[in-house]
Amino acid sequence: MPKDAPVDPRGPRFSAWMTTVILAVVLLTGWWRLLAAQTVLFAMCAFISLKLNPWGHVYRYAIQPRITPTTEREEAAPLRFAQGVGFVFALIGTLGYATGLTTLGMVATALALVAALLNAALGLCLGCEMYLLLRRYAPALARPQSQ
Amino acid sequence: MTGVWALLGALAVAGAIGVLLKVREGRISSRETSADLPAPVRDLLAPGVTLVQLSTTFCAPCRHAKVILSDLASRTDGLTHAELDVTNLPDVAASLGVMRTPTTLALTADGVEVLRVGGVPKRDTLLAALQPHLP
Repeated sequence: MPKDAPVDPRGPRFSAWMTTVILAVVLLTGWWRLLAAQTVLFAMCAFISLKLNPWGHVYRYAIQPRITPTTEREEAAPLRFAQGVGFVFALIGTLGYATGLTTLGMVATALALVAALLNAALGLCLGCEMYLLLRRYAPALARPQSQ
Repeated sequence: MTGVWALLGALAVAGAIGVLLKVREGRISSRETSADLPAPVRDLLAPGVTLVQLSTTFCAPCRHAKVILSDLASRTDGLTHAELDVTNLPDVAASLGVMRTPTTLALTADGVEVLRVGGVPKRDTLLAALQPHLP
C-alpha cells in the first residue's frame, strides 16, 4: 500500500467538519445513499490514499492559500487509521439503513458523527488514542495498514 | 424525528467525551509499584528516573508528548526519556495496564513505577511531581 506524505494538520480538520455535516444530514434525513457515498470515501482514503479525499483538494485550492501557512505537519498513518475506523461504522450504518434496520443505521451513524465531531472541533482522534483497546477487542480492524 | 434525537444525542456524547478527555489529559497518577516489568521496558531503564513513553504508529499526540518529554529530560539531571512503540507489542501494553497512547511511565533504575501520565503531559506539573524522585 502506498505511503502518504505528512500533511498540513488543518486539512484533516476541515475534512472532519465536512464529514460531520454529511453524517448529520444522514441522521436527519435517513438518506442512506449519502451514507453509502461517505463509506466509499472513507474506504478510498483508508485503503488507497488520502489524496483521493475531495475535501483535501477543496482545502488546498480554496482555503489554504487564504490562511497563514504553517510548517507543522501531521503523519498520514494516524489519519488513514481514523478513516478506516470511520469506514467500519459508516458501512454498518449503510447496511442498517438499507436493510430496514434503521435503529442500527442510526446508532452506527451517530457513533461515527461523535468521532468526526471530536476530530473537527478538538483535533482529537479517538480511534488513534484507543488503538490499543481496538487491537485488543477487534484485532482484525486494528491490523496495521500502511506499513 | 428520531433522527433529530439521534443527532442531539451524538452532539451531547461528543461534548461529554471532549470535556472528559480534556480534564484527564496529562493527569498524573502517583503510585509506588514494582511489578515485574516486561523485558522491552526493562531494557530502557537508565540511572535515575526514566520516562518510558508508550506510543503507536497511529497516535498523533504521541509526537507532541515526545517533544515535551525529550526536552524536559535533556534539561533535567537524572531524567531520561525513552519512547517505546507498542503498535506490535499489545501484550506489553496490556501487562502494564495501558489502554491509550501516549501513556508515560516514570520508572526508577530498579524498575519501581513512581507515577504515570495519560495523554500529553503538562511539563511543569510533571516536573513538580517527579522532583521528590530525582537525585
